[in-house]
Amino acid sequence: MVDVLSTDISRRALLGGLAAGLAVNGAGVGSATGQPRAGGRIRIASTNSSTADTLDPAKGSTATDYIRHYMLYSGLTQFDGQLRGRPGLADRMVTQDNIVWNIRLRRGVHFHNGKPLTVEDVIFSLLRHRDPAAGSKVKTVADQFASARRAGPLELQLRLTGPNPDLPAILAVSHFLIVENGRRDFSKANGTGPYIAHEFAPGIRTIVRKNPNYWKPGRPYLDEIELIAIPDEISRVNALLSGDVQMVNAVGPGSVKRVRATSTHSVMEIPSGLFTNLIMRRDNPVTANPDFVLAMKYLQDRELIKRALFRGFATIANDQPISPIDPNFNPNIPQRPLDPDRAKFLLKRSGLLGVRLPVYAAPVANGSIDMGSVLQEHAAQIGLKLAINRVPSDGYWATHWMKHPMTFGNTNQRPTTDMMFSLFFQSKALTNETGWNHPRFDRLLLEARSTTDAALRKEIYGEMQLVVHQHGGLAIPAFISLLDGYDRRLKGMFPIPLGGFMGYNFAEYAWWDA
Amino acid sequence: MTGGNLIRAVRALPWSGKIGLALVAFWIVIALTGRFIAPHSPGAFVSYEVFAGSSGKFWFGSDFLGRDVLSRLLVGAQFTVGLSAIAVTIAVTLGTGLALTAAVGPRWLDELLSRAMDTLISIPSKIFALVLVAAFGSSIVLLTLIVSITYVPGNFRIARSLAVGLTKLDYVEVARARGEGRFHIALVEMLPNMIRPLFADIGLRFVFIVLLLSGLSFLGLGLQPPDADLGSLVRENVSGLGEGALAILMPATAIASLTVGVNLLIDAATQGKVK
Amino acid sequence: MSAASTPSLWRGAGRLIGKRIGLALVTLLLVSAVIFTISGLLPGDAAQEVLGQGATPEQVAALRHEMGLDRPAPVRYAEWLGSIVAGDPGQSLVANKPVADIISERLPNTLTLAALAALVSVPFAFLIGIASAVSRGRKLDRGINVLTLSMVALPEFLVATIAVLIFAVELLWLPSITIVPKDPTFAQFARAYAMPVMVLAVGVVAQLGRMIRAAIIAELDRPYVEMARLKGVGPQRLVFRHVLPNAIGPIVNAMALSLSNLFGGAIIVETIFNYPGLASLMVNAVTSRDMPLLQACAMIFCATYLLLVLIADTVAILANPRLRQV
Repeated sequence: MVDVLSTDISRRALLGGLAAGLAVNGAGVGSATGQPRAGGRIRIASTNSSTADTLDPAKGSTATDYIRHYMLYSGLTQFDGQLRGRPGLADRMVTQDNIVWNIRLRRGVHFHNGKPLTVEDVIFSLLRHRDPAAGSKVKTVADQFASARRAGPLELQLRLTGPNPDLPAILAVSHFLIVENGRRDFSKANGTGPYIAHEFAPGIRTIVRKNPNYWKPGRPYLDEIELIAIPDEISRVNALLSGDVQMVNAVGPGSVKRVRATSTHSVMEIPSGLFTNLIMRRDNPVTANPDFVLAMKYLQDRELIKRALFRGFATIANDQPISPIDPNFNPNIPQRPLDPDRAKFLLKRSGLLGVRLPVYAAPVANGSIDMGSVLQEHAAQIGLKLAINRVPSDGYWATHWMKHPMTFGNTNQRPTTDMMFSLFFQSKALTNETGWNHPRFDRLLLEARSTTDAALRKEIYGEMQLVVHQHGGLAIPAFISLLDGYDRRLKGMFPIPLGGFMGYNFAEYAWWDA
Repeated sequence: MTGGNLIRAVRALPWSGKIGLALVAFWIVIALTGRFIAPHSPGAFVSYEVFAGSSGKFWFGSDFLGRDVLSRLLVGAQFTVGLSAIAVTIAVTLGTGLALTAAVGPRWLDELLSRAMDTLISIPSKIFALVLVAAFGSSIVLLTLIVSITYVPGNFRIARSLAVGLTKLDYVEVARARGEGRFHIALVEMLPNMIRPLFADIGLRFVFIVLLLSGLSFLGLGLQPPDADLGSLVRENVSGLGEGALAILMPATAIASLTVGVNLLIDAATQGKVK
Repeated sequence: MSAASTPSLWRGAGRLIGKRIGLALVTLLLVSAVIFTISGLLPGDAAQEVLGQGATPEQVAALRHEMGLDRPAPVRYAEWLGSIVAGDPGQSLVANKPVADIISERLPNTLTLAALAALVSVPFAFLIGIASAVSRGRKLDRGINVLTLSMVALPEFLVATIAVLIFAVELLWLPSITIVPKDPTFAQFARAYAMPVMVLAVGVVAQLGRMIRAAIIAELDRPYVEMARLKGVGPQRLVFRHVLPNAIGPIVNAMALSLSNLFGGAIIVETIFNYPGLASLMVNAVTSRDMPLLQACAMIFCATYLLLVLIADTVAILANPRLRQV
């Protein structure tokens, strides 16, 4: 039996994520030498909040939700700087076949209302996602939980529908945070997290206060955190610089110079696997044509997109979704260049140079409108007319995304390679963006999942990246770095590439040096 | 009006009116010719540097993507001037026309029109535009219509209140006693007496339309790329504000000079007629 | 004002108000129908918006059923209408809360901001409107003219952004976002509201000031003013006793429009200063397709507008003898 959580981490994990993160990343934010200090009250601003803000982890849909949930609840596991699952409420997870998992819970954990954490709370928290009426964002992931049963006072056995070696990382996702058994009404939050809800006004603010009985001794450090959202980027950065908030996410690449020019504030760049991609659907004769698809890929001005749109805070991508920060990244695929001549040749050969196709873009797909403009300009120069159809963000995912021959998608870093491939590329996946059908790819995916040999798995994933690069109906010009702005007095943070605010997890690590 | 009359009328304008006229004429010329005199394609990525300053090759520098600001400005002026002028014409024609109809027409018609206008005006204009754009998309034609419809009720209210005031005046009652038709009373007796306050309203309304368009681009509802009106140019380059980039200063100056020019001219023209 | 005309005056006003309330209800009905129809044309619905990018069709169907969106639109409208007549704006589809609760959280914010902006801008507007009207064509008038024009010459979002850069980021005098602490001191309150009120007031002062000027000038050209002047009435008395009462109709009308704009049109200011008001709530309701919330916001904006116009018309009638026999 292998304890997945404790392999090679034993002491580091006990010291906490901070030490682990620093050891691995080389540099944390702020002073690495200073001793964390308790106390302090900060306000932070994320990008969006609305009346749909929720206290139900299953329904979380924005960075603001994820941050709030990680403050109030704990998961069975927690992410480290490499997106690996580390011990959380579970202090041991063992499996032999990656199908049956024995999970042992930490002793002496209490909910905010004083109720002790039990196996029943965990079973409920995991299985509730399978119910369509629960409205869970991770229903498709939870569908692989075949059953969960009690195996002791603090032990449970989770059985999956098939092997999945990534379970510890999957359980660290905010949606799988642990709630009370039977809880359906989420107008109040009762979790085991580092902070206790003090005020929650959807679309306005969340105020949380330190949980004195948190199961990690000495944590958290801050007394109070107020979480608001400032959707307008310029306003958000201004609020940071004027001292009205102490941390923000999604600093615009154009604002970094301005923030770094001050002596009081700085920006943390977190390379991530976030990308905005051009989707060409297989169910349209034009965008299903391999020559047309390849031409679109050759028309991507990746250098310009990286330089102008993201001011260098991006990594050039190669039309496949696994970024260099993923340990399974395949570095041996040759980079596809900008090559208008080749694109023109391909379009001529396919007889599609004269088509006039609209491309749908929306602000919600980060940078898609400008990427569309770049593509439009390069296409115009070889005689291909593309109309960019900018549509409002609301309704975009439901009515435009994947619904027209060419649309832009936007995909966040996923915790595992498997999740990225199975959510967006598996032929039967609901969000199979291009609508392709590639039996070999599907076979490789299952093969990777069922192998217990990590090196072999990496090899399989590498081949799958090549398949997408060559045959996939999507162009991915760049991986976009996450940019967090912060007051220099805020310390203790390290990047977790899942998202801004330390992969939304900053609250239990951060401390105020004043 | 003959050419000589025109020149005399221009001469009679106060200095502010002459400045206004010059600005308006300038922008009309730019709107008509901008597309042809633009040195670069407005969508082309011509500069390696973003938010570059002025140079011999790029007089107004480059924008946030390294496009030529001057070219984008020249083309953008066409959209702003053209769209706003058309929209204000539609809005005022409809608004004043309906107001006169309401003032001289039967009581029920007045009520009907007033209720319809109240319905339109009581929904905040930017939100109304937002809903319409979300529902119907944002093509140029649609944007013009949305903006005009948004400003019809405001003009209607002002024109109607002017017209109703006039219907109580003696000379209108005299005309009515003379047996003049409603149409005649509205156009011949009333409209000329409403022109001056209405013109002040038109000038402001033009400004508001220009500003509503830029407000809409702030909310992400403006023209489709690569087209951009002056407001969109300001909006898309707003991250350059901190560094004082020409890419935002020039379109902002353009908007200001256009709106101020239109109003100076209208003010002067309406004042010049004091009997 | 003569004693004889007073009772008939009040009776007239009373009749007007009664009739107006009836008409207001008709308008509210129209607005709700328009909103319901247009929002039915919007792409997507609340269930899809809530579930987002990765929703399965069965989840959407389940949530639609829970929200009652699987019933025909006319039925939903009729139900909404039934409950609003009973005084209940219903349950928000998205926030899992009564609409009334959500509104009551935001309405005071919007009222405060609008009231402060009005308080600052109306006196200024009168001041510059009257000053420029009486000095028509002279230097003062022209100066004010250029001033008011340049005040409305730039997009609001640019004015607000520049103000934030100067006063919040560079000088650190004022906060860049409007967060009012609970039980604020006067200084905290003033600091929090200073910038949004300034930005809103700039537009209103210019617009209203120009309308006031135009209305007064229109009156100044009337024969009775000339007559009064010949009789030796001083310029101040002329403006305040003779001209203003007659010009009050268009002025109060313009005021009603400005105030209604302040109330519902603060979306850009609310966005930039991150102020939780009704306009951003309504935009939020549009984007999340939260029909009951959207309707409630529309009803409030419409009712406010109608109330302001009613006040304006009443004032106009009371002030202008010629209009009293309605």
